[in-house]
Amino acid sequence: MRDLKEYEEEIYRCSQCNFCLALCPVYREDLVESSVARGRLNLIQAALLERTVPATGRVRELINRCLLCTNCVQGCPSGIPVDDIVRAARHELLKEHGPLWPEKLLFRQVLKRRPGASSAARAVTWLRRFNLLPGRIPPLADPPFAERVPCGSSRAGGGRARVAYFVGCGTNYLYPDTGAAVLKVLGENQVEVIIPEEQVCCGMPALAHGDFDAAAEAVRVNAGILASLDVDAVVTDCTSCGYMLRSKAAGVLPPDDPCLTQVLAVAGKTVEITEFIAGMGLNDIPASKPLTVTYHVPCHRSWSPGLVSAPERVISHLAGVQLVPLQEPERCCGAGGTFFLTHSALGEEIRERKLNDILKTGAQMVITQCPACRYYLTEGLKGRGSLQVVHPMVLLAGLPAPAE
Amino acid sequence: MISISGLFRDLTALVDRRRVLAQREDLLAYANDATPRRVLPAAVVLPANPQETAAVLQYANRRRIPVVPRGAGSGLAGGATPCEGSIVLDLKRMNRIIEIDRQNMTAVVECGVVTGRFHSEVESLGLFYPPDPQSMSVCTLGGNVATRAGGPRGVKYGTTKDYVLGVEAVLPDGSIIKYGGKSVKMSSGYDLARILTGSEGTLGVVTRVMLRLLTLPPARQTLVAVFPELDSSAEAVSAIIAAGAGPSMLEMLGRGAVDCIESYVPLGLPRDAEAFLLIEVDGPPEKVERDCALTGEICFRHGAREVRVARDAAEAAGIWSARRALFPAAARQARNLLIEDATVPRTQVPAMVRAIARIAERNQVTIGVSGHVGDGNLHPGIWADRRDPELMRRVGQAMAEIAREALKLSGTLSGEHGIGYLKSPYLEWEFGAEGVALMRRIKKAFDPEGIMNPGKIWPGGETGRAGS
Repeated sequence: MRDLKEYEEEIYRCSQCNFCLALCPVYREDLVESSVARGRLNLIQAALLERTVPATGRVRELINRCLLCTNCVQGCPSGIPVDDIVRAARHELLKEHGPLWPEKLLFRQVLKRRPGASSAARAVTWLRRFNLLPGRIPPLADPPFAERVPCGSSRAGGGRARVAYFVGCGTNYLYPDTGAAVLKVLGENQVEVIIPEEQVCCGMPALAHGDFDAAAEAVRVNAGILASLDVDAVVTDCTSCGYMLRSKAAGVLPPDDPCLTQVLAVAGKTVEITEFIAGMGLNDIPASKPLTVTYHVPCHRSWSPGLVSAPERVISHLAGVQLVPLQEPERCCGAGGTFFLTHSALGEEIRERKLNDILKTGAQMVITQCPACRYYLTEGLKGRGSLQVVHPMVLLAGLPAPAE
Repeated sequence: MISISGLFRDLTALVDRRRVLAQREDLLAYANDATPRRVLPAAVVLPANPQETAAVLQYANRRRIPVVPRGAGSGLAGGATPCEGSIVLDLKRMNRIIEIDRQNMTAVVECGVVTGRFHSEVESLGLFYPPDPQSMSVCTLGGNVATRAGGPRGVKYGTTKDYVLGVEAVLPDGSIIKYGGKSVKMSSGYDLARILTGSEGTLGVVTRVMLRLLTLPPARQTLVAVFPELDSSAEAVSAIIAAGAGPSMLEMLGRGAVDCIESYVPLGLPRDAEAFLLIEVDGPPEKVERDCALTGEICFRHGAREVRVARDAAEAAGIWSARRALFPAAARQARNLLIEDATVPRTQVPAMVRAIARIAERNQVTIGVSGHVGDGNLHPGIWADRRDPELMRRVGQAMAEIAREALKLSGTLSGEHGIGYLKSPYLEWEFGAEGVALMRRIKKAFDPEGIMNPGKIWPGGETGRAGS
């Protein structure tokens, strides 16, 4: 990942139009301009580049008060890569202050899924039980998805295509049902699936916290594994993993890194699973009961233009299922990866708007391709009716969503 | 001079402490608007109602602390740029639409309501609020009133000033005045609403606005006409208006502007033409059809080599959003961009465009010209770079020459952005010593201590303070 210094020109290029004001979910809640991209860029410039303002605790607070949802980036008239700049600023702060221990545990042990990862995950479960972790860490699947399915092997039912399935941490640790649904739908549609052994976290969480070294290591490991496979596509059920594999991974490595060719090869093949299915068409149309669903669009969507419309396209095959439009479907739900853990009150305020919009639709189910959104919305909807939040693949597979 | 901690303590006695910012880290976000100058204020206050606004103003007035009202901080003339030691009043918290009255076709809004949001609210009721500054996704109605903001629809519908029926405003001494209301006619006393409209926060703080609404035109159609020559396009503009086609928007883009847009949002426009007219007609469907045909015919008669009519609403929306993207697209190419706002009578547009080209050459600066040609409001975009003082000097010179030229052609310094600090040095060129003297007396009547937005409209550090 580029050093903050290398973004100096880009920060300077910000036209200061302040159009990001309309796009920032954090600003929408606190109405303070230091929460918005323009203000944050000016702060980063002064405190971490020009060093005319000391890098105080408030500087850190403001730099961390960003969901990295990329809504401002997607709407930025000047095309400033605000999220990259915020990550680089966090990296800068990390260099100065070092990572916190929960982050170290998470990025360097659990998400690496190395031998011992399961015990690390179990450790998280224990620490969580005794309230020793900050915020509300979600319960982890035991065993994780990767231990439930035979890895490495090609699965039966090939013919139409051959894909590698990149299993994100969301599916592995939180929602194994998404993984099961992906395998079922691909299998029923004559797609041969390889689940590469020893794949690790995509590196996005580490990157978001400015831990560039951990991110680079993850990128190298995954690229080495995925590039060596003879497959038509690398599919992922997680929009943030896809964003990482497709758009961000190459930037994590130095320009002369020997892995770069592999990273770019993988980037070119990465497809979000719903979009993959929508493009391929379904062989077997599953029977479906009458159901109304609404679609919450994940923030990390810009890496693939067809991703946003894909759920609607696949749902149109299900005779009984009706899609009810959500107001501002692309507005962030407040989860922001792990943002909701460190900014719980703010996250809940952002989520509340989303929950109200969801409830207004009267839908019986919410679909979204992001496991963090799924978790956070599910938590928010507890005690407010029987709405379930699932990945579109779960719906398509006709699997019952697990009882929460 | 009061200390920052003293100021913070005093302000938090007036307003909830969560709505007072005094840490430098936060103030950096308020150091500028969309213009290059950056000055850290001493504090930012986010009042929730006119009473809090009054309390802060009264306090500042007693201590002669400058106050800078702020909407979205998206202004292009520098009206919301803080000055040394000032209190910035961020007015975006007062963001309620109080009332939309369908029978009287009026609305009452707080100053912080975002213009684009107001558009969707009134349009969902079949009503129409025409002023359409291109920053409408963020800019506030209060900011629009303060700058008399307008946009492409100005050619048919005028600008913000034509819709303000009344205001509620807080004066520097803390008194709250109300002027006007739902009466469309009003011939009673001095028009205080008009005086405050366009005063750029130099007289008081507008906290509430009563606005006039129209009915939403049932149909609209968009055309793009391609001209090999600038002059013929300008003749077409005058002819279209003279023929009574009544376009609701009539924009001109130069070749440079089209290059700029095409590299950002490709519309597939030819790159070898000198001028493009983007035209919208609106009204009842049969009138739209007739005006559209008439407009196209006039364009051809004046040498257009191609006229495209948008196939559907989506294509039309694409064309206008590309037009809106011009400022940002240009901003991608220039380091910093200063958008000029000189406005001339529509027949003088070709003369003005040529003068701008000469000014650019003479001062060795890059200037892209586009604008709301139907009302003579040009937006020369001057490429600047804050870090290059020598270039900034030439940019300043070019701006001054553009101002002079516009006035020479019977135009005005600003069509819709305001004077701010960027054009304050030229004020007297437009109004003469007598005109400026009268304005100064008005300023003193409202703001005897000269605390309101010093350095805006009035040149340099001049505050208009009594006795100075």
